[in-house]
Amino acid sequence: MKSRCRNDPSSDNMASVRAASRLLSKRVLSTAKAVPAAAVQGSRNFHFSIYGKKKNAKVSDDISTQYPVVDHEFDAVVVGAGGAGLRAAFGLSEAGFNTACVTKLFPTRSHTVAAQGGINAALGNMEEDDWRWHFYDTVKGSDWLGDQDAIHYMTEQAPAAVVELENFGMPFSRTEEGKIYQRAFGGQSLKYGKGGQAHRCCCVADRTGHSLLHTLYGRSLRYDTSYFVEYFALDLLMENGECKGVIALCMEDGSIHRFRAQNTVIATGGYGRTYFSCTSAHTSTGDGNAMVTRAGLPCQDMEFVQFHPTGIYGAGCLITEGCRGEGGILINSEGERFMERYAPNAKDLASRDVVSRSMTIEIREGRGVGPEKDHVYLQLHHLPPQQLAARLPGISETAMIFAGVDVTKEPIPVLPTVHYNMGGIPTNYKGQVITHVSGEDKVVPGLYACGEAASASVHGANRLGANSLLDLVVFGRACALTIAEEHKPGEKLSPLKPSAGEESVANLDRLRFANGSQRTSEIRLNMQKTMQSHAAVFRTGSVLKEGCDKMDAIYQTVEDIKTFDRGIVWNTDLVESLELQNLLLNAVQTINSAEQRKESRGAHAREDYKDRVDEYDYSKPLQGQEKKPFDQHWRKHTLSFVDQKTGKVTLEYRPVIDSSLDEQDCAHVPPAIRSY
Amino acid sequence: MSLLRLCSSGGRQLFCKSPAVEPLFTGCLRAASRAVNDKEPLKKAKTPKGRFDNLEETSKDVLEKFPDDVNPVTKEKGGPRGPEPTRYGDWERKGRCVDF
Repeated sequence: MKSRCRNDPSSDNMASVRAASRLLSKRVLSTAKAVPAAAVQGSRNFHFSIYGKKKNAKVSDDISTQYPVVDHEFDAVVVGAGGAGLRAAFGLSEAGFNTACVTKLFPTRSHTVAAQGGINAALGNMEEDDWRWHFYDTVKGSDWLGDQDAIHYMTEQAPAAVVELENFGMPFSRTEEGKIYQRAFGGQSLKYGKGGQAHRCCCVADRTGHSLLHTLYGRSLRYDTSYFVEYFALDLLMENGECKGVIALCMEDGSIHRFRAQNTVIATGGYGRTYFSCTSAHTSTGDGNAMVTRAGLPCQDMEFVQFHPTGIYGAGCLITEGCRGEGGILINSEGERFMERYAPNAKDLASRDVVSRSMTIEIREGRGVGPEKDHVYLQLHHLPPQQLAARLPGISETAMIFAGVDVTKEPIPVLPTVHYNMGGIPTNYKGQVITHVSGEDKVVPGLYACGEAASASVHGANRLGANSLLDLVVFGRACALTIAEEHKPGEKLSPLKPSAGEESVANLDRLRFANGSQRTSEIRLNMQKTMQSHAAVFRTGSVLKEGCDKMDAIYQTVEDIKTFDRGIVWNTDLVESLELQNLLLNAVQTINSAEQRKESRGAHAREDYKDRVDEYDYSKPLQGQEKKPFDQHWRKHTLSFVDQKTGKVTLEYRPVIDSSLDEQDCAHVPPAIRSY
Repeated sequence: MSLLRLCSSGGRQLFCKSPAVEPLFTGCLRAASRAVNDKEPLKKAKTPKGRFDNLEETSKDVLEKFPDDVNPVTKEKGGPRGPEPTRYGDWERKGRCVDF
């Protein structure tokens, strides 16, 4: 065991770090030995490995003597263990690859567990159905920003994916005949929009995401995937534009681990926590997007963020539109039913984006409620309590638990809330991460992405309900299949510099001993409030520009961060600061992309540019129209790069893929005006 | 036999006096009553275990389970409890919207 003592009497810090690292190396070495868990004495083996198999991991101080590094070698490494991550991990193990799954949360605690809606698939159990109609609905829902080959792939695989899940043991609800019961949901139609409502949404009682995650986790235990639970992935190990693995911090004992693998799959989820009000867990911090950004690769369509108008202030849970449907009204600080001014006919029953924008305008003009005047009220106490209890059972419970109000006496504080991020790491339909070079899509070797973190772009500018769970399983499987097709288990690893990952460790060290003046929580709150007021539903040029400047300033304040915990074992202060760095990278990309996109499309709606700007004006006949050149229309994907040091965002664009995988089998849908 | 009866009656009196001594006597009482075939009703202690044995006291969930878990209108087996979640266009449960 190497532990060079440096005679450096400059500070007490060094002595304690040396002592800590000596202790650390001892512990790291002991866990690295290949012994069955039961026989280990003194150090408990926390990491789950089903047959007691543990790869011989080598310790070295190639990066730093203060931070000894444990090197692991695998055929594939998956970062993130939510729906997509687990599907990819066991898909790879099933194909015979030696897979590691690195996750900062225990798999069943990932945010997928909160998805309670359903999963769409054209099984045709309730009526005659065809996946091509599902394809049409999804392309239309994405406002023609979705890549039609990826959408073709997803909707064609959907029935097989759902049947596969059902074979894994997921307890879908059934019809009388025993087939999977499907209900109407999420903008699904028959016969390319002309045949009425389609019933495509399969569910498991009211906990589909929970059941999905547990089914996948249970299934994954059949294969010998090595789980590295509570390991925070710091960065990708890139060399010559190729991804050679991941470097991670073990939160439990503070050791640094390098996972070398020929194939890396990123499935880290969304970045809801950049906003003040979001439905996502505190752990949705866009770590994968940030890792990819730091590696110099672009992120795609970051400005498309899906909002819901009535989310409970502080808690982030969404209140159903049914409340307004049953007679609930939105009121501002003056007690006025402000929706009458914005939508005189529909009033509170106007569409979601109109309601969200109206609420934001009221708040911006100073008529918000609460001590900071940053939200509005949803009033239900004027309705008879029995009617409320009969039509909306459970709402009083929800309001009491999450808002602390008695819904029959007080109004519920609400504000527009982030629910889903359509943007993320750009991939092709096979799940391979791509970058755009000289007008062509180029695959980044060794890197794949799936789930909410990726943007294969099936959701385009707007996600349809019940499509995201489908996205997880289909593209998780796609990543595994692509890797299995192109690589073999036991392939020799390409060489890697011994000091790979040293910038990540240097950053970690700097954050651990940071002694500026602003706490992590302060900087994070500043960022969240800025994003909520400038990059939320209400977007205009001046507001976005102001937001971009403020975000630039906030990005710089990270230099001045102050952390308190100097230890290395379970240092949550450090991990939160790392997450904050990741969040900031996501936030600057979101707001800058939104500022540049001068049109309204899907979830990105601007007051100053209310129309969609495509290459042709699709509201008029195409005859005689001149096609606009690429740089003058907006039917294209945004690719954003960030200079890590300055926080400056550079934007490039890549065209939308308009052709499906097989034009004979399923013709692509030409763009049209999107109206429901 | 008589000793056990004494023990049980003594236990009942002590129940009113000191709650701390109850668990001891409950154990003794249960063991005793198993032998005497449940002649008198068991006095359960106010321990969590005791409380869960009284199913009537558990609060009813606002969303009631369908008989046999089959929705009478749509004939769906194993579906969501309570009214149809998608009736307002989004997926609603207990007033919370979870998907839209």
